[in-house]
Amino acid sequence: MENVETLTLDCSDKPTREINNIIRQAADDGVAAIEILNTQARHNIGVGILKPIHLIYRGHVGYYTVGLCDGVTAEIHGSSGWGVGDNLLTGEVVVEGNAASSAAPSLRGGRVVVKGSGGPRTAVYLKSGEVIVGGDAGYMSGFMMQNGRLIICGNAAKGLGDSMYQGQIWLGGEADEIGSGIEQTDPETGELEDVLATLERFKIKAPKTLKKLQSDKSLWNFNKHDFAAWKDAL
Amino acid sequence: MCGVGGIYFKTADHGAKTGEIAYRILNGIFRRGPDSTGVALWHANEDDLLYVGINYETPSAGATIIEVLDRLGTVQQATDGEGYVRAAISYSGSEQELVNAIDTLDPAITVGSVGRHLEVLKQMGGVANLDDKFSLKSYNGRLAMGLTRYATESNIDFTNAQPLTARANSDLAIMHNGHITNYHHLRSHYALKGYQFATQNDSEVIPIMLIDEMSKGASFEDALHISIEKLDGCFTYIAVTEDRFAVVKDPYAAKPAVVAETDELVALSSDPQSLREGVLTDIEVWEPGAGEVHIWKM
Repeated sequence: MENVETLTLDCSDKPTREINNIIRQAADDGVAAIEILNTQARHNIGVGILKPIHLIYRGHVGYYTVGLCDGVTAEIHGSSGWGVGDNLLTGEVVVEGNAASSAAPSLRGGRVVVKGSGGPRTAVYLKSGEVIVGGDAGYMSGFMMQNGRLIICGNAAKGLGDSMYQGQIWLGGEADEIGSGIEQTDPETGELEDVLATLERFKIKAPKTLKKLQSDKSLWNFNKHDFAAWKDAL
Repeated sequence: MCGVGGIYFKTADHGAKTGEIAYRILNGIFRRGPDSTGVALWHANEDDLLYVGINYETPSAGATIIEVLDRLGTVQQATDGEGYVRAAISYSGSEQELVNAIDTLDPAITVGSVGRHLEVLKQMGGVANLDDKFSLKSYNGRLAMGLTRYATESNIDFTNAQPLTARANSDLAIMHNGHITNYHHLRSHYALKGYQFATQNDSEVIPIMLIDEMSKGASFEDALHISIEKLDGCFTYIAVTEDRFAVVKDPYAAKPAVVAETDELVALSSDPQSLREGVLTDIEVWEPGAGEVHIWKM
Protein backbone atom coordinates (compact mmCIF):
# COMPACT_ATOMS: atom_id res chain seq x y z
CA MET A 1 0.00 0.00 0.00
CA GLU A 2 3.01 2.26 0.11
CA ASN A 3 3.07 5.37 -2.07
CA VAL A 4 -0.69 5.36 -2.45
CA GLU A 5 -2.16 8.76 -1.75
CA THR A 6 -5.87 7.95 -1.41
CA LEU A 7 -7.23 4.47 -1.04
CA THR A 8 -10.80 3.52 -1.79
CA LEU A 9 -12.40 1.05 0.60
CA ASP A 10 -15.75 -0.55 -0.20
CA CYS A 11 -17.38 -1.84 2.98
CA SER A 12 -20.18 -3.77 1.32
CA ASP A 13 -18.46 -7.16 1.15
CA LYS A 14 -16.22 -6.93 4.23
CA PRO A 15 -16.68 -7.72 7.90
CA THR A 16 -16.05 -4.84 10.33
CA ARG A 17 -12.80 -6.25 11.70
CA GLU A 18 -11.30 -6.54 8.21
CA ILE A 19 -12.30 -2.94 7.40
CA ASN A 20 -10.63 -1.66 10.55
CA ASN A 21 -7.53 -3.73 9.90
CA ILE A 22 -7.25 -2.29 6.37
CA ILE A 23 -7.56 1.26 7.73
CA ARG A 24 -5.02 0.53 10.50
CA GLN A 25 -2.55 -0.96 8.02
CA ALA A 26 -2.98 2.00 5.67
CA ALA A 27 -2.27 4.42 8.54
CA ASP A 28 0.84 2.39 9.42
CA ASP A 29 1.94 2.53 5.77
CA GLY A 30 1.59 6.30 5.70
CA VAL A 31 -1.41 6.44 3.35
CA ALA A 32 -2.75 9.99 3.43
CA ALA A 33 -6.45 9.33 3.03
CA ILE A 34 -9.07 6.62 2.60
CA GLU A 35 -12.40 7.13 0.92
CA ILE A 36 -14.86 4.75 2.59
CA LEU A 37 -17.83 3.67 0.48
CA ASN A 38 -21.09 1.84 1.27
CA THR A 39 -20.98 2.50 4.98
CA GLN A 40 -24.74 1.74 5.16
CA ALA A 41 -24.96 3.05 8.73
CA ARG A 42 -22.74 0.19 9.90
CA HIS A 43 -21.23 0.39 13.38
CA ASN A 44 -17.58 0.62 14.44
CA ILE A 45 -16.13 1.60 11.09
CA GLY A 46 -12.75 3.28 11.67
CA VAL A 47 -12.21 2.36 15.32
CA GLY A 48 -8.92 2.10 17.20
CA ILE A 49 -6.75 3.89 14.60
CA LEU A 50 -3.75 5.32 16.41
CA LYS A 51 -1.75 6.86 13.57
CA PRO A 52 -2.69 9.92 11.51
CA ILE A 53 -4.87 9.31 8.46
CA HIS A 54 -7.77 11.16 6.83
CA LEU A 55 -11.03 9.22 6.51
CA ILE A 56 -13.76 10.26 4.08
CA TYR A 57 -17.04 8.47 4.79
CA ARG A 58 -19.44 8.58 1.85
CA GLY A 59 -22.79 7.94 3.49
CA HIS A 60 -24.43 7.50 6.87
CA VAL A 61 -22.48 5.78 9.61
CA GLY A 62 -23.57 3.78 12.67
CA TYR A 63 -22.32 3.68 16.26
CA TYR A 64 -18.84 4.61 17.52
CA THR A 65 -17.44 5.84 14.22
CA VAL A 66 -13.87 7.16 14.71
CA GLY A 67 -14.03 5.83 18.28
CA LEU A 68 -10.85 5.28 20.32
CA CYS A 69 -8.72 7.05 17.72
CA ASP A 70 -5.66 9.26 17.98
CA GLY A 71 -4.61 11.77 15.34
CA VAL A 72 -7.28 10.75 12.84
CA THR A 73 -9.18 13.36 10.84
CA ALA A 74 -12.50 12.43 9.30
CA GLU A 75 -15.33 13.87 7.25
CA ILE A 76 -18.64 12.06 7.38
CA HIS A 77 -20.91 12.88 4.45
CA GLY A 78 -24.10 11.75 6.11
CA SER A 79 -25.48 11.35 9.62
CA SER A 80 -23.92 9.39 12.42
CA GLY A 81 -25.26 6.94 15.00
CA TRP A 82 -24.46 6.96 18.73
CA GLY A 83 -21.08 7.93 20.13
CA VAL A 84 -19.29 9.39 17.10
CA GLY A 85 -15.66 10.21 17.97
CA ASP A 86 -15.86 8.30 21.25
CA ASN A 87 -12.85 9.04 23.48
CA LEU A 88 -10.90 10.84 20.74
CA LEU A 89 -7.39 11.72 21.92
CA THR A 90 -6.43 14.12 19.14
CA GLY A 91 -7.81 14.66 15.66
CA GLU A 92 -10.91 16.10 14.09
CA VAL A 93 -14.25 14.65 13.00
CA VAL A 94 -16.74 16.60 10.91
CA VAL A 95 -20.27 15.17 10.56
CA GLU A 96 -22.13 16.89 7.73
CA GLY A 97 -25.52 15.59 8.87
CA ASN A 98 -26.99 14.96 12.33
CA ALA A 99 -25.47 12.94 15.14
CA ALA A 100 -27.49 10.57 17.36
CA SER A 101 -27.13 10.19 21.14
CA SER A 102 -23.89 10.77 22.98
CA ALA A 103 -21.94 12.37 20.14
CA ALA A 104 -18.31 12.95 21.08
CA PRO A 105 -18.47 11.28 24.52
CA SER A 106 -15.47 11.50 26.84
CA LEU A 107 -13.41 13.46 24.34
CA ARG A 108 -9.88 13.88 25.68
CA GLY A 109 -8.74 16.20 22.93
CA GLY A 110 -9.30 17.10 19.31
CA ARG A 111 -12.56 18.33 17.90
CA VAL A 112 -15.91 16.92 16.77
CA VAL A 113 -18.08 19.12 14.56
CA VAL A 114 -21.73 18.21 13.92
CA LYS A 115 -23.12 20.50 11.24
CA GLY A 116 -26.69 19.33 11.80
CA SER A 117 -28.20 18.65 15.22
CA GLY A 118 -26.88 16.52 18.04
CA GLY A 119 -28.96 14.01 20.00
CA PRO A 120 -29.24 13.56 23.78
CA ARG A 121 -26.03 13.75 25.82
CA THR A 122 -23.96 15.45 23.11
CA ALA A 123 -20.43 16.00 24.48
CA VAL A 124 -21.22 14.05 27.63
CA TYR A 125 -18.24 13.85 29.96
CA LEU A 126 -16.13 16.14 27.76
CA LYS A 127 -12.66 16.08 29.26
CA SER A 128 -10.85 18.34 26.85
CA GLY A 129 -11.02 19.42 23.22
CA GLU A 130 -14.01 20.92 21.48
CA VAL A 131 -17.47 19.91 20.28
CA ILE A 132 -19.40 22.13 17.88
CA VAL A 133 -23.08 21.64 17.00
CA GLY A 134 -24.44 23.68 14.09
CA GLY A 135 -28.07 22.98 14.97
CA ASP A 136 -29.79 22.00 18.21
CA ALA A 137 -28.49 19.74 20.97
CA GLY A 138 -30.56 17.15 22.84
CA TYR A 139 -31.31 16.36 26.46
CA MET A 140 -28.45 16.66 28.95
CA SER A 141 -25.85 17.86 26.48
CA GLY A 142 -22.53 18.65 28.15
CA PHE A 143 -23.53 16.56 31.19
CA MET A 144 -20.61 16.25 33.63
CA MET A 145 -18.22 18.15 31.38
CA GLN A 146 -14.81 18.31 33.00
CA ASN A 147 -13.11 20.68 30.62
CA GLY A 148 -13.07 21.76 26.99
CA ARG A 149 -15.51 23.82 24.98
CA LEU A 150 -18.98 22.95 23.70
CA ILE A 151 -20.52 25.33 21.14
CA ILE A 152 -24.22 24.93 20.30
CA CYS A 153 -25.48 27.32 17.63
CA GLY A 154 -29.16 26.39 17.99
CA ASN A 155 -31.29 25.51 21.01
CA ALA A 156 -30.62 22.99 23.74
CA ALA A 157 -33.07 20.60 25.43
CA LYS A 158 -33.39 20.20 29.22
CA GLY A 159 -30.45 19.70 31.53
CA LEU A 160 -27.83 21.56 29.49
CA GLY A 161 -24.42 21.28 31.17
CA ASP A 162 -25.85 19.59 34.26
CA SER A 163 -23.19 18.94 36.91
CA MET A 164 -20.35 20.27 34.78
CA TYR A 165 -17.08 20.82 36.62
CA GLN A 166 -15.11 23.07 34.32
CA GLY A 167 -14.98 24.13 30.69
CA GLN A 168 -17.29 26.36 28.69
CA ILE A 169 -20.59 26.01 26.90
CA TRP A 170 -21.51 28.57 24.26
CA LEU A 171 -25.19 28.64 23.38
CA GLY A 172 -26.69 30.49 20.40
CA GLY A 173 -30.36 29.77 21.02
CA GLU A 174 -32.28 28.99 24.18
CA ALA A 175 -32.12 26.05 26.57
CA ASP A 176 -35.40 24.40 27.63
CA GLU A 177 -33.84 24.31 31.08
CA ILE A 178 -30.30 24.92 32.29
CA GLY A 179 -28.82 22.03 34.28
CA SER A 180 -27.88 22.18 37.95
CA GLY A 181 -24.75 24.02 38.94
CA ILE A 182 -24.18 26.22 35.91
CA GLU A 183 -24.45 29.95 35.31
CA GLN A 184 -24.16 32.49 32.53
CA THR A 185 -21.05 34.65 32.70
CA ASP A 186 -19.51 37.45 30.70
CA PRO A 187 -16.94 36.34 28.15
CA GLU A 188 -13.38 37.40 28.68
CA THR A 189 -11.59 39.48 26.06
CA GLY A 190 -11.12 37.60 22.80
CA GLU A 191 -13.16 34.52 23.79
CA LEU A 192 -16.21 35.31 21.67
CA GLU A 193 -14.01 36.26 18.70
CA ASP A 194 -12.28 32.91 18.98
CA VAL A 195 -15.63 31.06 18.96
CA LEU A 196 -16.79 33.02 15.90
CA ALA A 197 -13.52 32.36 14.08
CA THR A 198 -13.87 28.63 14.79
CA LEU A 199 -17.42 28.60 13.39
CA GLU A 200 -16.22 30.52 10.34
CA ARG A 201 -13.50 27.94 9.77
CA PHE A 202 -16.15 25.21 9.46
CA LYS A 203 -18.50 27.43 7.43
CA ILE A 204 -21.16 27.24 10.11
CA LYS A 205 -23.44 30.29 10.22
CA ALA A 206 -22.91 31.97 13.56
CA PRO A 207 -26.02 32.76 15.59
CA LYS A 208 -26.82 36.42 16.28
CA THR A 209 -25.77 36.13 19.90
CA LEU A 210 -23.87 33.56 21.92
CA LYS A 211 -24.16 33.10 25.66
CA LYS A 212 -21.25 31.77 27.68
CA LEU A 213 -22.15 29.24 30.38
CA GLN A 214 -19.88 27.64 32.93
CA SER A 215 -19.95 25.87 36.28
CA ASP A 216 -21.02 28.04 39.20
CA LYS A 217 -18.98 25.67 41.40
CA SER A 218 -21.98 25.11 43.69
CA LEU A 219 -21.69 21.34 43.23
CA TRP A 220 -17.95 21.19 43.74
CA ASN A 221 -18.39 20.60 47.44
CA PHE A 222 -21.27 19.05 49.32
CA ASN A 223 -23.28 21.48 51.39
CA LYS A 224 -26.14 19.95 53.33
CA HIS A 225 -28.09 23.23 53.13
CA ASP A 226 -28.19 22.77 49.35
CA PHE A 227 -29.75 19.33 49.52
CA ALA A 228 -32.44 20.33 46.99
CA ALA A 229 -29.83 21.15 44.36
CA TRP A 230 -28.14 17.78 44.93
CA LYS A 231 -31.42 15.97 44.60
CA ASP A 232 -31.97 17.52 41.17
CA ALA A 233 -28.40 16.93 40.02
CA LEU A 234 -28.59 13.42 38.65
CA MET B 1 -30.82 -4.32 25.43
CA CYS B 2 -33.72 -5.55 23.24
CA GLY B 3 -34.47 -4.11 19.83
CA VAL B 4 -37.75 -2.69 18.60
CA GLY B 5 -38.76 -1.94 15.05
CA GLY B 6 -41.14 -2.43 12.20
CA ILE B 7 -42.89 -1.00 9.20
CA TYR B 8 -46.21 0.68 8.41
CA PHE B 9 -47.57 1.43 4.93
CA LYS B 10 -49.76 4.49 4.64
CA THR B 11 -51.94 3.08 1.88
CA ALA B 12 -53.40 -0.38 1.51
CA ASP B 13 -52.25 -0.73 -2.13
CA HIS B 14 -48.55 -0.47 -1.32
CA GLY B 15 -47.65 -3.46 -3.43
CA ALA B 16 -44.66 -4.26 -1.25
CA LYS B 17 -43.91 -7.15 1.04
CA THR B 18 -44.53 -5.85 4.54
CA GLY B 19 -43.50 -9.15 6.11
CA GLU B 20 -40.22 -9.25 4.21
CA ILE B 21 -39.32 -5.72 5.26
CA ALA B 22 -40.24 -6.44 8.89
CA TYR B 23 -38.12 -9.59 8.65
CA ARG B 24 -35.07 -7.63 7.54
CA ILE B 25 -35.57 -4.90 10.15
CA LEU B 26 -35.90 -7.46 12.96
CA ASN B 27 -32.99 -9.48 11.60
CA GLY B 28 -30.90 -6.29 11.71
CA ILE B 29 -31.60 -5.89 15.44
CA PHE B 30 -31.13 -9.57 16.28
CA ARG B 31 -27.84 -8.71 18.04
CA ARG B 32 -29.77 -6.46 20.43
CA GLY B 33 -32.02 -9.32 21.48
CA PRO B 34 -31.15 -12.91 20.57
CA ASP B 35 -33.47 -14.59 23.13
CA SER B 36 -36.81 -14.34 21.37
CA THR B 37 -38.50 -12.45 18.58
CA GLY B 38 -42.11 -11.35 18.32
CA VAL B 39 -44.22 -9.27 16.03
CA ALA B 40 -47.65 -7.61 16.04
CA LEU B 41 -49.43 -7.72 12.69
CA TRP B 42 -52.37 -5.55 11.74
CA HIS B 43 -55.29 -7.14 9.87
CA ALA B 44 -58.21 -5.37 8.17
CA ASN B 45 -60.28 -8.32 9.40
CA GLU B 46 -63.13 -8.18 6.90
CA ASP B 47 -64.26 -11.68 7.96
CA ASP B 48 -64.80 -10.61 11.58
CA LEU B 49 -62.36 -13.10 13.04
CA LEU B 50 -60.74 -13.07 16.45
CA TYR B 51 -56.95 -13.41 16.40
CA VAL B 52 -55.73 -15.37 19.39
CA GLY B 53 -52.16 -16.09 20.45
CA ILE B 54 -51.55 -18.66 23.19
CA ASN B 55 -48.30 -19.31 25.05
CA TYR B 56 -47.63 -22.80 26.33
CA GLU B 57 -44.62 -24.10 28.20
CA THR B 58 -46.03 -27.66 28.49
CA PRO B 59 -44.54 -29.73 25.63
CA SER B 60 -46.96 -30.80 22.88
CA ALA B 61 -49.94 -28.92 24.29
CA GLY B 62 -50.57 -27.21 20.94
CA ALA B 63 -53.06 -29.73 19.56
CA THR B 64 -55.10 -29.67 22.77
CA ILE B 65 -55.22 -25.88 22.72
CA ILE B 66 -56.47 -25.84 19.12
CA GLU B 67 -59.16 -28.41 20.06
CA VAL B 68 -60.30 -26.26 22.97
CA LEU B 69 -60.41 -23.18 20.75
CA ASP B 70 -62.54 -25.09 18.25
CA ARG B 71 -64.95 -25.95 21.03
CA LEU B 72 -65.18 -22.35 22.22
CA GLY B 73 -65.60 -20.99 18.68
CA THR B 74 -64.82 -22.18 15.16
CA VAL B 75 -61.18 -22.32 14.23
CA GLN B 76 -60.68 -20.90 10.73
CA GLN B 77 -56.91 -21.08 10.75
CA ALA B 78 -54.48 -22.32 13.36
CA THR B 79 -50.76 -23.02 13.49
CA ASP B 80 -48.97 -24.77 16.31
CA GLY B 81 -45.62 -22.99 16.65
CA GLU B 82 -44.33 -25.41 19.33
CA GLY B 83 -44.68 -23.16 22.37
CA TYR B 84 -47.08 -20.70 20.81
CA VAL B 85 -50.37 -21.27 19.03
CA ARG B 86 -51.57 -18.78 16.48
CA ALA B 87 -55.25 -19.00 15.61
CA ALA B 88 -57.94 -17.04 13.81
CA ILE B 89 -61.35 -18.09 15.04
CA SER B 90 -64.98 -17.19 14.50
CA TYR B 91 -66.18 -16.30 17.95
CA SER B 92 -68.97 -14.06 19.12
CA GLY B 93 -68.79 -14.64 22.88
CA SER B 94 -67.00 -12.67 25.57
CA GLU B 95 -63.27 -12.27 25.06
CA GLN B 96 -62.71 -12.38 28.80
CA GLU B 97 -64.51 -15.76 29.05
CA LEU B 98 -62.28 -17.12 26.29
CA VAL B 99 -59.17 -15.90 28.13
CA ASN B 100 -60.41 -17.49 31.38
CA ALA B 101 -61.22 -20.78 29.65
CA ILE B 102 -57.71 -21.07 28.20
CA ASP B 103 -55.88 -19.81 31.30
CA THR B 104 -57.55 -22.42 33.51
CA LEU B 105 -56.48 -25.38 31.30
CA ASP B 106 -53.00 -25.57 32.80
CA PRO B 107 -50.83 -23.06 34.72
CA ALA B 108 -48.29 -23.28 31.89
CA ILE B 109 -50.84 -22.27 29.26
CA THR B 110 -51.80 -18.60 29.00
CA VAL B 111 -53.46 -16.39 26.44
CA GLY B 112 -50.83 -14.02 25.11
CA SER B 113 -53.04 -11.85 22.98
CA VAL B 114 -56.61 -11.46 21.74
CA GLY B 115 -57.34 -9.02 18.97
CA ARG B 116 -59.86 -8.02 16.33
CA HIS B 117 -57.20 -6.25 14.27
CA LEU B 118 -53.94 -7.13 15.96
CA GLU B 119 -52.32 -10.51 15.92
CA VAL B 120 -49.21 -11.28 17.96
CA LEU B 121 -46.68 -13.92 16.90
CA LYS B 122 -43.72 -15.06 18.98
CA GLN B 123 -40.82 -17.48 18.71
CA MET B 124 -37.63 -18.19 20.59
CA GLY B 125 -34.41 -17.03 18.96
CA GLY B 126 -34.25 -14.84 15.89
CA VAL B 127 -36.75 -13.78 13.28
CA ALA B 128 -35.83 -16.75 11.06
CA ASN B 129 -37.69 -19.00 13.53
CA LEU B 130 -40.70 -16.71 13.37
CA ASP B 131 -40.72 -17.06 9.61
CA ASP B 132 -40.21 -20.86 9.74
CA LYS B 133 -43.17 -21.37 12.05
CA PHE B 134 -45.54 -18.61 11.00
CA SER B 135 -44.39 -17.49 7.51
CA LEU B 136 -43.80 -13.91 8.59
CA LYS B 137 -42.43 -13.01 5.15
CA SER B 138 -45.76 -13.79 3.50
CA TYR B 139 -47.61 -11.20 5.60
CA ASN B 140 -48.69 -8.41 3.28
CA GLY B 141 -50.90 -6.19 5.42
CA ARG B 142 -50.17 -2.62 6.40
CA LEU B 143 -48.35 -2.87 9.71
CA ALA B 144 -45.81 -5.22 11.26
CA MET B 145 -43.99 -4.05 14.41
CA GLY B 146 -41.82 -6.30 16.51
CA LEU B 147 -39.23 -6.81 19.18
CA THR B 148 -36.05 -8.83 19.60
CA ARG B 149 -35.76 -9.68 23.28
CA TYR B 150 -32.72 -9.68 25.51
CA ALA B 151 -34.26 -11.01 28.71
CA THR B 152 -33.29 -9.37 31.97
CA GLU B 153 -36.13 -9.62 34.47
CA SER B 154 -38.01 -12.77 33.61
CA ASN B 155 -37.55 -16.17 32.01
CA ILE B 156 -36.61 -16.77 28.42
CA ASP B 157 -39.81 -18.49 27.34
CA PHE B 158 -42.91 -17.90 25.24
CA THR B 159 -44.98 -16.50 28.10
CA ASN B 160 -42.53 -13.73 28.89
CA ALA B 161 -41.62 -12.97 25.27
CA GLN B 162 -42.86 -9.76 23.71
CA PRO B 163 -44.99 -8.16 22.23
CA LEU B 164 -47.20 -8.04 25.32
CA THR B 165 -50.84 -7.07 25.45
CA ALA B 166 -53.57 -6.40 27.99
CA ARG B 167 -55.36 -9.40 26.44
CA ALA B 168 -59.20 -9.30 26.39
CA ASN B 169 -60.99 -6.33 24.78
CA SER B 170 -57.85 -4.34 24.17
CA ASP B 171 -56.40 -4.56 20.63
CA LEU B 172 -53.22 -3.06 21.98
CA ALA B 173 -49.72 -4.47 21.68
CA ILE B 174 -46.56 -3.15 23.31
CA MET B 175 -42.95 -3.67 22.37
CA HIS B 176 -40.74 -2.35 25.16
CA ASN B 177 -36.98 -1.89 25.23
CA GLY B 178 -35.83 -1.01 28.73
CA HIS B 179 -36.55 -1.73 32.35
CA ILE B 180 -39.45 -0.53 34.49
CA THR B 181 -37.95 -0.10 37.95
CA ASN B 182 -41.23 0.59 39.77
CA TYR B 183 -42.83 -2.48 38.19
CA HIS B 184 -43.63 -4.33 41.41
CA HIS B 185 -45.31 -1.29 42.89
CA LEU B 186 -47.35 -0.70 39.75
CA ARG B 187 -48.21 -4.37 39.35
CA SER B 188 -49.67 -4.61 42.85
CA HIS B 189 -51.59 -1.40 42.24
CA TYR B 190 -53.22 -2.74 39.07
CA ALA B 191 -53.66 -6.26 40.44
CA LEU B 192 -55.63 -4.79 43.35
CA LYS B 193 -57.81 -3.02 40.80
CA GLY B 194 -58.59 -6.43 39.27
CA TYR B 195 -56.25 -6.54 36.28
CA GLN B 196 -54.87 -9.98 35.45
CA PHE B 197 -51.15 -10.29 34.85
CA ALA B 198 -50.24 -13.26 32.67
CA THR B 199 -46.45 -12.96 32.80
CA GLN B 200 -43.56 -12.03 35.09
CA ASN B 201 -42.29 -9.51 32.54
CA ASP B 202 -42.02 -5.91 33.80
CA SER B 203 -43.11 -4.66 30.36
CA GLU B 204 -46.60 -6.13 30.86
CA VAL B 205 -47.49 -3.26 33.18
CA ILE B 206 -47.33 -0.85 30.21
CA PRO B 207 -50.33 -2.16 28.21
CA ILE B 208 -52.30 -2.56 31.45
CA MET B 209 -51.51 1.00 32.50
CA LEU B 210 -52.56 2.33 29.08
CA ILE B 211 -55.82 0.35 29.12
CA ASP B 212 -56.54 1.53 32.66
CA GLU B 213 -55.95 5.19 31.77
CA MET B 214 -58.10 4.91 28.63
CA SER B 215 -60.88 3.21 30.59
CA LYS B 216 -60.86 6.28 32.85
CA GLY B 217 -61.45 8.49 29.80
CA ALA B 218 -57.94 9.40 28.68
CA SER B 219 -57.28 9.46 24.95
CA PHE B 220 -54.59 7.15 23.59
CA GLU B 221 -52.24 10.13 23.36
CA ASP B 222 -52.99 11.26 26.92
CA ALA B 223 -52.46 7.72 28.20
CA LEU B 224 -49.04 7.59 26.56
CA HIS B 225 -48.05 10.90 28.18
CA ILE B 226 -49.33 9.68 31.55
CA SER B 227 -47.22 6.53 31.16
CA ILE B 228 -44.08 8.68 30.87
CA GLU B 229 -44.99 10.27 34.20
CA LYS B 230 -45.91 7.04 35.98
CA LEU B 231 -43.28 4.63 34.70
CA ASP B 232 -39.91 4.78 36.37
CA GLY B 233 -36.81 3.47 34.66
CA CYS B 234 -35.65 3.56 31.09
CA PHE B 235 -37.86 2.76 28.18
CA THR B 236 -38.46 3.21 24.53
CA TYR B 237 -41.64 1.46 23.55
CA ILE B 238 -43.83 1.05 20.52
CA ALA B 239 -47.57 0.86 21.11
CA VAL B 240 -49.92 -0.39 18.39
CA THR B 241 -53.72 -0.24 18.48
CA GLU B 242 -56.41 -1.04 15.93
CA ASP B 243 -55.99 2.38 14.25
CA ARG B 244 -52.85 4.03 15.65
CA PHE B 245 -49.28 3.35 16.54
CA ALA B 246 -46.81 5.34 18.57
CA VAL B 247 -43.25 5.49 19.75
CA VAL B 248 -42.67 6.69 23.32
CA LYS B 249 -39.37 7.61 24.93
CA ASP B 250 -38.49 8.03 28.59
CA PRO B 251 -37.38 11.44 29.94
CA TYR B 252 -33.72 10.36 29.81
CA ALA B 253 -33.72 9.17 26.17
CA ALA B 254 -31.80 6.16 27.44
CA LYS B 255 -32.88 3.73 24.75
CA PRO B 256 -32.52 4.32 21.04
CA ALA B 257 -35.17 4.42 18.33
CA VAL B 258 -34.96 6.01 14.94
CA VAL B 259 -37.76 6.84 12.56
CA ALA B 260 -37.86 7.14 8.78
CA GLU B 261 -40.95 8.53 7.12
CA THR B 262 -41.82 9.01 3.44
CA ASP B 263 -45.11 9.59 1.59
CA GLU B 264 -45.57 5.81 1.48
CA LEU B 265 -44.29 4.46 4.76
CA VAL B 266 -43.14 4.88 8.32
CA ALA B 267 -40.31 2.62 9.48
CA LEU B 268 -39.03 2.38 13.05
CA SER B 269 -36.02 0.67 14.51
CA SER B 270 -33.64 0.72 17.45
CA ASP B 271 -30.85 0.85 14.95
CA PRO B 272 -30.53 2.93 11.76
CA GLN B 273 -28.55 0.17 10.11
CA SER B 274 -31.39 -2.34 10.46
CA LEU B 275 -33.83 0.23 9.18
CA ARG B 276 -31.84 0.71 6.02
CA GLU B 277 -31.49 -3.04 5.59
CA GLY B 278 -35.26 -3.17 5.90
CA VAL B 279 -36.24 -0.64 3.29
CA LEU B 280 -33.13 -1.22 1.17
CA THR B 281 -32.38 2.46 0.61
CA ASP B 282 -30.16 4.98 2.32
CA ILE B 283 -33.26 6.61 3.80
CA GLU B 284 -33.02 9.72 6.03
CA VAL B 285 -33.72 8.96 9.69
CA TRP B 286 -34.41 11.04 12.80
CA GLU B 287 -34.51 10.17 16.45
CA PRO B 288 -37.36 11.16 18.82
CA GLY B 289 -36.12 13.14 21.82
CA ALA B 290 -36.32 12.63 25.56
CA GLY B 291 -39.83 12.28 26.96
CA GLU B 292 -41.44 12.52 23.52
CA VAL B 293 -44.53 10.78 22.16
CA HIS B 294 -45.01 10.41 18.41
CA ILE B 295 -48.29 9.02 17.11
CA TRP B 296 -49.33 8.03 13.62
CA LYS B 297 -52.97 7.52 12.74
CA MET B 298 -53.51 4.63 10.36
